[in-house]
Amino acid sequence: MLTITAPTATASAASLPAAAPHAAPRVLLHDATLRDGHHAARHQLNHDQLRGYAAAAEQAGIAVLEVGHGNGLGASSLQIGRALLSDAEMLDTVRAELTHTRMGVFLAPGWGTGDDLRAAVALGARVVRIAAHCTEADATQRHLGIAAELGAEPHGVLLMSHMADPHKLAEQCALLARYGARAVGFYDSAGHFLPDDVATRVSAIRQAVGDDVDVIFHGHNNLGMSVANSLAAVAAGATIIDATARGFGAGAGNTPIEVLAAVLHRMGHDTGLDQRAVLQAADLAGRTLMDAPPTIDTISLASGLAGVFSGFKLPVLAAAETHGVDPVDVLFELGARGAVAGQEDLIADVVTTLRGARPGTP
Amino acid sequence: MSAHDLPAGRRQRDPRHDNVDEKADSMDNHRPARVAVLGAGLIGLDLVDKINRSDALTCVLVVGHRRESLGLRRAVAMGCAVTDGGIEALLHTGADIDVVFDASNADAHEHHWTRLEPTGATMIDLTPARLGEMIVPSVNGEHALTTRHLSLVSCGGQAAIPVVYALAAHTSLAYVEIVCTAASATAGPATRLNLDDYVATTADAVRRFCAAGEVKVMVNLSPATPAPPFRVTVTALTRDANPETITAAVAGAARRVQAFAPGYQISSCTVTDDRITVTVQVEARGTRLPRHAGNLDIITAAAVVLGEQQAAAHAGGHR
Repeated sequence: MLTITAPTATASAASLPAAAPHAAPRVLLHDATLRDGHHAARHQLNHDQLRGYAAAAEQAGIAVLEVGHGNGLGASSLQIGRALLSDAEMLDTVRAELTHTRMGVFLAPGWGTGDDLRAAVALGARVVRIAAHCTEADATQRHLGIAAELGAEPHGVLLMSHMADPHKLAEQCALLARYGARAVGFYDSAGHFLPDDVATRVSAIRQAVGDDVDVIFHGHNNLGMSVANSLAAVAAGATIIDATARGFGAGAGNTPIEVLAAVLHRMGHDTGLDQRAVLQAADLAGRTLMDAPPTIDTISLASGLAGVFSGFKLPVLAAAETHGVDPVDVLFELGARGAVAGQEDLIADVVTTLRGARPGTP
Repeated sequence: MSAHDLPAGRRQRDPRHDNVDEKADSMDNHRPARVAVLGAGLIGLDLVDKINRSDALTCVLVVGHRRESLGLRRAVAMGCAVTDGGIEALLHTGADIDVVFDASNADAHEHHWTRLEPTGATMIDLTPARLGEMIVPSVNGEHALTTRHLSLVSCGGQAAIPVVYALAAHTSLAYVEIVCTAASATAGPATRLNLDDYVATTADAVRRFCAAGEVKVMVNLSPATPAPPFRVTVTALTRDANPETITAAVAGAARRVQAFAPGYQISSCTVTDDRITVTVQVEARGTRLPRHAGNLDIITAAAVVLGEQQAAAHAGGHR
């Protein structure tokens, strides 16, 4: 059990209140700002934006900073959105700013390939997330092997995880571990989970993979649960939590790293972060990466309820506006069809169907 | 040596087996082409089913690696002689084989071809190894008779290339993107291990058949229930495409594929000033595969069409 301890020190002008002594387990925050944030920026972050945030993350003591197109290496496409910069340009720019912080990348086989992975590691990626939809762990076997061969730290992660039950997720995570992943876990890609859902899944995974493998949770804030879900994950045994500055990310955004760091700090978890510098990084992100901080608007809320990938928000809004249909209807229909990340081509289909179904439409 | 004498023929035979002789009788004294299938996964078994339905082909042997694998046991139940000894076992039977279908995996294919080549048999490769001449029946099926080593690209290639080829005939393509979504249950272990080959081979084939500036291929495996049909979206960046010409060309391309894969449908075709988007859905319309397994259906149907073409040429040559 976690103990919640009141602050014990007085804040000085220069420092934040000291945390409780580190009674609780260490938690590593994996910063996905420059990857997941790309969904909110239509994959258009430029050199200066990447460089500025990378330097701030380094300053804050971030252990791993993930960078890339929103759907990872090789995913820049008409289907998902074309990035302003190539994978190589992004990695080069970020790597130049990092000393202690390790650079991370994300690759889903089928969207990117082993060649993309080799190029990324050659450019300095040290932590490699290999992803598959929740029941497809065996699609990661080859690429987890490549990551390990290249000397990067291989992580195996499951997307759209609300589409599988806890037992199935645990079984799939055990496969990821067997393929060599040093950390395994799941993404709440649709922001659909409540804390109990997360706790149940983390416990099942922890039981399936034992204590030698880190367990990862990656939250989204569509139902306002990202911090609560992340805490539930930690309480159930997760050791790596993904988060982004100001929650910059797909849909209603991710778990805000500055908030999560502060809360974990108060609870006595060591995150290894410089709290003050984390706030500065979040401020910088707020000023330079986004037009407005992510909010839980109707679309994001509907997307979370419908179980639709958060990254569909902008394409759904665009298609719905062009064709004069209600984006909420589009999201629920996509949810009913079990659309997964990467299936953006279904949006046009659904919009056409809904337009056809509207009374009075020819 | 007949199929019945092969090592695994001592397994209990299915009454279907006797159809082999009926087939021969119905062939007007032309014996059906004798074929073998390497691999008893999802694709191998569907091939066996389609071969069993073909008057022009008879399945002599199904080759696997594990005697007790579910795939080999199913092949036996479908009336086939089987072996678990790999390509060597096939060669050691000394059986006279006309066509070998490789439905194993991309990594194994090169070895299979090296061993098979001296025998004079034709190899039809359904893995994405891309060593043989790439064939898409409705586009360059006639080339299939000029080579003994055919590559069927990938299921996504079989679905997308007829469309891209039709587009390329009527407009210039600066960029072509192909996104394939297959239901989880239709992607076996070899496919999952070979996703990089699948992507590279499909992209290579598009470049081979169609003049296109840049080609990108992506694959999704969908965990959705109920399982969605196989879906392939082709998006092309172009200029000055005529919507009516393009729509008609795409419809024509679809009709040529439907001749052997009736579940192939254009579900949408949108032409704007700078972009063409065509979505194809493929359902399996046979009796054995579930409807959503259109990805398996289109590539096995293409393989059997080519096998039958070989059989016809073979028979013609003996006249």
